[in-house]
Amino acid sequence: MANKAKYKTAPLKCWQKAKELRQKYYEDYAKAHERGGLRWAGGAWTFSAIPSGLGEDVWSLTSEPYGASIAFNKDFSLRCLEATEKASYARDLCAYMRNYWGSIILNEYAFGGPFPKPDFIWQDHICCSHAKWYQVVSDLENGIPHFCIDVAVGPYKDVAPHKIDYLVGQMHDGIEWLEKTTGRKYNDELLIEAVKNEFRSTSTWAEICTYNKNIPAPLDEKTMYSLYVFGTLNKHDREVVDFYEELRDEVKERVDNGIAAIPNERCRLMSDTQPPWGFLKIFRYMEKYGALSVGSLYSFGLIGIWEDKPDGSWGPRTTPMEQGVEIKDRDQALRLYADWTLSKPEWQHFYSPHLKTEMMARIAREWKLDGILLHYNRGCEGLSVGIAENRLGLIEAGFPVMAFEGNMGDEREFDEARVKDRFDAFMETLGVKKD
Amino acid sequence: MASQVGLDQETFATFRNWRLKRADYARQWKERTGGKVVGYFCTYAPEELMYAAGILPVRILGSHEVQDVTEPHIFAMFCPFCRDCLAQGLKGRFAYLDGITIAQSCLHIRQAFTSWQKHIPIDYSYYLPMPNHVQSPRAKPFLTKELQVFKGSLEQWLGKKIDDQAINDAIEVYNRNRELLWRVFELRKGDTPPLTGEEAMEIVLSAQMVDKQDHNAALEKLLAQLSTRQTTRPTGTRLMILGSEDDDIEFIRMVESCGATFVIDDHCTGTRYFWNKVARNGDVLASIAKRYVERVPCPSKDWPDRTRVAHVLRLAKDYNVQGAIVMQQKFCDPHEIDVPALTKALNGAGIKTLFLEFDVTVPIGQFKVRVEAFLEMLQEEDLF
Amino acid sequence: MITAGIDIGAKTIKVVLADDGKVLAKSLVPAGIDTAVATRQAFDQALSAAELSRDQIDRIMATGTGRKDCPLTDDEITEVGAAAKGMNHILKTCRTVIDVGAEEGRTLRCDETGKVIDFAFNEKCAAGAGTFAEGMARALQVPLVELGPLALTSKQAVQMNAQCAVFAESEVVTLIHAKTPRQDIARAVLDAIASRIISMVRKVGFEKDVALIGGVARNPGFVEAMKRGLEMDVHVPEDPEYVGALGAALAAAGAD
Repeated sequence: MANKAKYKTAPLKCWQKAKELRQKYYEDYAKAHERGGLRWAGGAWTFSAIPSGLGEDVWSLTSEPYGASIAFNKDFSLRCLEATEKASYARDLCAYMRNYWGSIILNEYAFGGPFPKPDFIWQDHICCSHAKWYQVVSDLENGIPHFCIDVAVGPYKDVAPHKIDYLVGQMHDGIEWLEKTTGRKYNDELLIEAVKNEFRSTSTWAEICTYNKNIPAPLDEKTMYSLYVFGTLNKHDREVVDFYEELRDEVKERVDNGIAAIPNERCRLMSDTQPPWGFLKIFRYMEKYGALSVGSLYSFGLIGIWEDKPDGSWGPRTTPMEQGVEIKDRDQALRLYADWTLSKPEWQHFYSPHLKTEMMARIAREWKLDGILLHYNRGCEGLSVGIAENRLGLIEAGFPVMAFEGNMGDEREFDEARVKDRFDAFMETLGVKKD
Repeated sequence: MASQVGLDQETFATFRNWRLKRADYARQWKERTGGKVVGYFCTYAPEELMYAAGILPVRILGSHEVQDVTEPHIFAMFCPFCRDCLAQGLKGRFAYLDGITIAQSCLHIRQAFTSWQKHIPIDYSYYLPMPNHVQSPRAKPFLTKELQVFKGSLEQWLGKKIDDQAINDAIEVYNRNRELLWRVFELRKGDTPPLTGEEAMEIVLSAQMVDKQDHNAALEKLLAQLSTRQTTRPTGTRLMILGSEDDDIEFIRMVESCGATFVIDDHCTGTRYFWNKVARNGDVLASIAKRYVERVPCPSKDWPDRTRVAHVLRLAKDYNVQGAIVMQQKFCDPHEIDVPALTKALNGAGIKTLFLEFDVTVPIGQFKVRVEAFLEMLQEEDLF
Repeated sequence: MITAGIDIGAKTIKVVLADDGKVLAKSLVPAGIDTAVATRQAFDQALSAAELSRDQIDRIMATGTGRKDCPLTDDEITEVGAAAKGMNHILKTCRTVIDVGAEEGRTLRCDETGKVIDFAFNEKCAAGAGTFAEGMARALQVPLVELGPLALTSKQAVQMNAQCAVFAESEVVTLIHAKTPRQDIARAVLDAIASRIISMVRKVGFEKDVALIGGVARNPGFVEAMKRGLEMDVHVPEDPEYVGALGAALAAAGAD
């Protein structure tokens, strides 16, 4: 029995630009040497603005998105995973990492050609695997200079000068190391520019997410994955700032014109942890029930930077520039950068799952949600840490929760049929029927 | 239970009884001293500071019993050790604790701490952000400051100041314990170690459960006895065990019943616990910070350089190790990532390795088959 | 109103025909390779047992893992919903239903009307399901139906590694070689399965009355192990493997 479409829908105008921008990112990294430039590898959370101070011809490859890109392509992913296992690495390790290592072992770049070796590694460390990921990368590539900044100083609510000093001290050491390693002179102007870009891009992404508070939601999470990704690639880049501002304007327009992500929205959900990248069609299955995920702490707060607004709601963090702060020198830029990044929502649960439960419950309330889907993600300890307590806490807070096991990057550990089954049962408990 | 022919069980009874009756010990200690008992989850916990405050710091460990109570709290893909630890708390086996603390190292064990905070009544809890970038010069000043904050928190809880003298005294007691343990372990370098790996494990585990002053007294006695003991037990193949966390005594006993002796280890209930002393130099907290930053690292903190490999090779050489059992707590990522590099280095140095994955309980039968095959292989090597 | 509930499980197809809540007939057929054929067979068997023809059935509802491919049905309901409905009909005071089938274990909490409040599934783990019990029975060289009664004669508990089914199977071999009495091993195996199931049950919590359904509920040793582990009495309905199909038949009749 079909329900008549409640809402108008329309494809995103900037969708094509998003695809091109992403493709360009991976090409730039591969072509860096041809252009006489530098290329480096590091995590999605790394302080990517810092290597920008080495010049305008410096490009990066961030690890987790690259791992996810491999995971999209199930055949290639399986070959990478098996290559890694053959090299004696355990199957329960981070799935992104295993895909990435496999790509190096096979010497196949997911975007064509051989795997381009980075000139140096610029990493951050908060989950146990981060720095160690690149120890193995260095082993596999016969040694690559590696600098990694530890950011695990405790939750932002406890931030204090000595914690900022620890980060900034490592950053200063890192810059010296970059100069020595690359032989280039560091340019503070470029650093300041990059840092400001990052403040803007991450704040704008948060703003975009707030528009999903609207009923109907203008974006569905599956679409958002292709958009939030830029914050994981080169959030310090001017092109990303511009793209996000363009996207923000378009999303606002959709809200003003009542354009929805799905035509029959009647069940608003949120998800958690990375999705099973090889099985995003699960989101399309949900739409049969008029159900959609409007986001998650993951897609909102992995790159988005947030704060409490005067009206008590959760919104984009005000940038230093918006506060009238002028960034004049290297140390000041680094301090602001450290503080800004430490407030990242997806860094808080590392110290206590109860902090995450609070944020999730808040999202569920402010985004007016009917239920929560928790992906017990075997592929990522960092984001799954404490998830069982999140489940208990959210149930305690009165929200219906569905948990399902899977793996973001290892398709052998995701059972599509079973997950659909559970989703059917969940919809039954919510009293939501298929179209 | 007599496990070794020829070695004096009496000598080790003290240590074993401490381990088996740790709850009784803790309760009696509380009655005796009027002090508080705080459970810690990781060997990076700055015990000296707690001890200086009149606290007895005790290591929370699992029981190696199958349980069904942690599934609602910790996703089963996290290591069996952290789930086993939490299970003990949920089952009330640590009801005598006044507080719990964790010094940040790995993600898995953190969950035992945070679930404990929420679901088990406890008077005090503290999360110490022990830095991970221990290879950076910035780690020491950061940890020093964090120790100051921790000290302030303890003072507030206890309603009393912790002065430098008390901290210095605590450092002295702890250093003495490390010194004595180190001396016991030194004896295992010889051709006929006067104690088995099982006994060594009893000693080190019990150190994590009792007042170091009591432990030091027992160690002094033990050292005196060991110096004169004759052992008739054949040493057999000299083995090393290395891993993440390992306190499975039953496994050690089984291996040592197959014609082998563990002469050294590198894991966090073994040498990693006590290997490094505090070098007192000026500010007490800075001195403590230095020790914890520079100590033999947990794999989760061993980066960007893999210092563990050199350390393990050195231990293997100093203790004349013939084979290494690389044990793996199921799902422990940091150690898992190190295993290929460690194995390669050990094999390259002529030390064969046997990899075994541990769970809360281990399939002793299957493991025995593998261990016997491994030992046979090592013994054949000796013929040439 | 005469309705049919078809439960297409991993190993067996169950059909229940009901007339306004009264069971007219039931049938059980191995699923085999071709579930469509087996489904028709089971349905026909039930029809002939009730002496009814196809067009006398007003509505057919399917449940179970294979429900989406069922050619016969008008509608579907998940195993969770069906189990709750079925058990609620049998025992109005039932608030927790634990369903252990060949390959999957499930638990659910329901209210007095049989509406599901929360549920959990046993994830990707064979150690909590019927197939594991079968494998263990083979290793012990006892027919599956004797595994339970054998376990009940055990006088002592022997611990088994309960994390991994594959490990457990070779552990049984070790225990046999160590001359552990077979009844103690049988009990240990069932305790291990029960432990896995109870771990899952605790996620959602349980309150009385607790019912145990699905094929494995026919194993008295398993039922004992569950009672021991839950420290609570457990109700096993007559024909525990038909509760899902019954629930589907009731769902087909009632307004949801």
